[in-house]
Amino acid sequence: MIEESRQKFDIRNNLRTELFPHFMCPGCGHGIALRALLWAVHELEISKDQLAIVSGIGCSGRTGAYIDATTIHTTHGRPLAYATGLKLARPDLEVIVITGDGDCLAIGGNHLIHACRRNLNLTCLMLNNETYGMTGGQVSPTTRNERFTTTTPLGNYEPVFDACALASGAGASMVGREITMHVTALKDLIKEGISHQGFTFLEILSDCTEIYGRKNELGESAEMVLSQKAEYRSDSYGNQVEEPFQPRNIGTGVLTKNDRTEYMEACRLHNQSKQSGTANS
Amino acid sequence: MPQLNNETKHLEAIVKSAPLEEIPTNVLVVGVGGQGVIMISKVLAALCQEQGFDVKQSEVHGMAKRGGSVFSHVRFGRQVFSPTIPKGDADILVALEWAEGLRWLPYLKPEKGIFIGDTQRIVPPFACRDRRRFAASGYVQESVDQVIRLVPNSSAMDAVAMARELGVPKAANTILLGALSTTLNFEEAAWKSVIARFVPPKTVDANLQAFDSGRAWIRNFDRQADSAMEAGTALDSGAWPMEQDQTWVEINTAWCKSCDICVKLCPERCLALDDQQLVQLIKPEACTGCRVCERLCPDFAINIHTPAFPELRP
Amino acid sequence: MNMANSHENKIQNLQGNHACALGAIAAGCRFFAGYPITPSSEIAERMALELPKVEGTFIQMEDEIASMGAVVGASIGGVKAMTATSGPGFSLKQENLGYAAATEVPCVIINVMRGGPSTGMPTRPAQGDIMQARWGTHGDHPIIVLTPCSVREIYELTIHAFNLSESLRVPVLVLIDEVIGHLIETIDLSLTGTQALAERRWASGPPKDFKPYAMTEDGIPPMPRPGDGYRTHTTGLHHSESGFPTQNPAEVERFIKRILGKLELHRERIENFETLECEDAECLVVAYGITARAAKRAVKQARAEGIKAGLFRPVTLWPFPEEAFRALAAGAASVLVPEMNTGQLILEIERHCPDATRVVPLNRFDGEPIAPVQILKKIKEQVSHD
Repeated sequence: MIEESRQKFDIRNNLRTELFPHFMCPGCGHGIALRALLWAVHELEISKDQLAIVSGIGCSGRTGAYIDATTIHTTHGRPLAYATGLKLARPDLEVIVITGDGDCLAIGGNHLIHACRRNLNLTCLMLNNETYGMTGGQVSPTTRNERFTTTTPLGNYEPVFDACALASGAGASMVGREITMHVTALKDLIKEGISHQGFTFLEILSDCTEIYGRKNELGESAEMVLSQKAEYRSDSYGNQVEEPFQPRNIGTGVLTKNDRTEYMEACRLHNQSKQSGTANS
Repeated sequence: MPQLNNETKHLEAIVKSAPLEEIPTNVLVVGVGGQGVIMISKVLAALCQEQGFDVKQSEVHGMAKRGGSVFSHVRFGRQVFSPTIPKGDADILVALEWAEGLRWLPYLKPEKGIFIGDTQRIVPPFACRDRRRFAASGYVQESVDQVIRLVPNSSAMDAVAMARELGVPKAANTILLGALSTTLNFEEAAWKSVIARFVPPKTVDANLQAFDSGRAWIRNFDRQADSAMEAGTALDSGAWPMEQDQTWVEINTAWCKSCDICVKLCPERCLALDDQQLVQLIKPEACTGCRVCERLCPDFAINIHTPAFPELRP
Repeated sequence: MNMANSHENKIQNLQGNHACALGAIAAGCRFFAGYPITPSSEIAERMALELPKVEGTFIQMEDEIASMGAVVGASIGGVKAMTATSGPGFSLKQENLGYAAATEVPCVIINVMRGGPSTGMPTRPAQGDIMQARWGTHGDHPIIVLTPCSVREIYELTIHAFNLSESLRVPVLVLIDEVIGHLIETIDLSLTGTQALAERRWASGPPKDFKPYAMTEDGIPPMPRPGDGYRTHTTGLHHSESGFPTQNPAEVERFIKRILGKLELHRERIENFETLECEDAECLVVAYGITARAAKRAVKQARAEGIKAGLFRPVTLWPFPEEAFRALAAGAASVLVPEMNTGQLILEIERHCPDATRVVPLNRFDGEPIAPVQILKKIKEQVSHD
């Protein structure tokens, strides 16, 4: 059964092929992440008409436009706010947010923690390439130490955000992380995230090959993809984050998952109890 | 398709006519770890002992783990000295896995030995040297048909499928035990009482049912062989269909951005960039259809098509 | 107070902010996202109470930016949506307001003005956001701004705001000053008239040929509803008729011209103003919001004293009803513009007055409303000057 649907998946059926080739640089990991997302959508048999992709600004934000679905390319950092409005207004839609490390953790950090807290049934994919690629490669909240960017000409000295620990701490009922090289595992993680009732935060470790990779001499596209494997511990499914500010020593897979009541469900149950309470009094 | 050589009807007659008391009877049970080889030999050994024979049972299984080669020698007679069966001296060879059966065929008595084989194929990973889909592997290529023709007294049955049909997929070994029982001169009730002691209490009924179906299969097959002989027709060939590797690599160079990921990560090194720095397939014959290139291409420029969906071909 | 009965009881003492919430519900608003801010919080509070009764959604977001984003998101989903704020919050909403203008997503924003700049005087009235309302977000963008001057008008204009927004696909702003917002007046909701509710024009026809930003005759393309099979792209980037980003100069120009031009095309429907004794006025007073109420009193007093004064009250502040104003200003020797700021609308008034007409400001920015007597005194000064 799984084999069959795997074979039938032709990504072009879920793409707006008339827009191709896409705008992303050669070797950009965002393309691989996009494949994993569409693969998951295909296997979950989500109708294109019921799928709404809400994205922010930056390289990650632009990826949404290539998906054959209702796509909303919002303002910088705000896709979670737009998605919250959309999902509340239209619970029938499958709303997936695509955001980036700068979009989600810097300018949109407030929206992230509150989306986690509310636990509305959204799936948030944060494509982490450690830099602001679209503006030319500035330092981001996830740029690791000593890495060169256009705004850290002598190397980065700022502490690094561990997005998953942040989301987990803020109350997201499902948090996960995967590297783009593990496309199949990433697909499965996204599938699990979409199926999960509640807010799902997934950090996808992607590569900015042309700007960040070049500036830091991280090798060519293939080397960068391969090096993901060496740097992330993929066998730590369900592991705890050991050193919050050293995200290079972190686990992948599902990091947090609980059955905290989903926002709309909580709202419904609460109102129900209040109404019955009024009737009794 | 199970197959029985036309010349091998009434298997039981051969052994039953032999002077069991004077010369030990040799039964070799082979298979791979996890199938129940030991269970068959233990039942047989216990039964023989109950019937007043001297029994020797020796086996190799400690190193086998699940999926590894396992064999068990059972010898019984008035007096048995050697614990193992010499090459070419086994009266009966029971194989729970096809390749294991073939491996031990030289142990069977030429012309007289009886071969009862399960056609189940468990292909070990190291038999796959070629990663292409449906590629020829190091696993035995001989079909059931060919083997049956080589071994006069042989029967090949798909015990696993039979067991699955019965709803007890793990009882394939008991079905083979049923088949084995038709070749030895012991009472059916004696077999059953031993089996009932050796299987988990909850599965006694299921195993006895499997035992019956193994016996029935042999009897039925003898009848089929009879009628086939009378009609002068050969039975169906039991060859496995060898599917061809028909993977088709579709490359959309208009979307290729020359990032080189596919070229460097292809395990078979089938891809290369051409003089325009666009990806091309240089060794189509080496492509295994593993999809690494398809899945890691950030530009969706490669699509792998497999034979399951021929309509996608151009 | 039993809120559940408030609708049945048509004659009631209602606060301006509450009237705004009730107007929104009457207009069909079913989504409200807001953030607490004085002096607009009562709108959010009343919406939190009213929306569940009509199966609408109320959510208090984490900040002003998010509430504007959520409103646009909900409206894209096909639900009439609104938010309410005051000066500092309005500043924060500007980027997403611009997004709504560029993507032509209907939404209503209420700004109950307070003193500024910055935190200013949260509890004191001002009319300092006139220019921010017009030019707050970057770039040329269409926006409609309405200014009520009574509790009843807040109710009516909130409904009107939804009607304009939904039918023209443009964000509509209701600028209320703190005095009106917190004013409690007796209003008879049964007399507020039964405004027909305008509904959004939804896309129909085959999705294959659908262009979400097509150049329609009336400048307003039908809107695709998610789930209806159109699967369109919405972006704040300049987009072509297909909805996808473009940098083609001709397409960009066409796009900007259309979104600004649709307000011109429908100007007649948008423009709304009130006049009092304007025909022979020598001194024409232009005032809006609470200031207009003071001006009305002053004009009446002036007329009682034999002074030819008149009042022009723009209800639609932007686009400014310039043609009507020009016609009236032509005959006036002076135009007096009392405002609770240092002079914002006066810049627009000066543009439309003939050179011979004197344009005189009357400004107050100390957190106090302008009294009728101040305006009357200024009118008298002008008349004696002539």
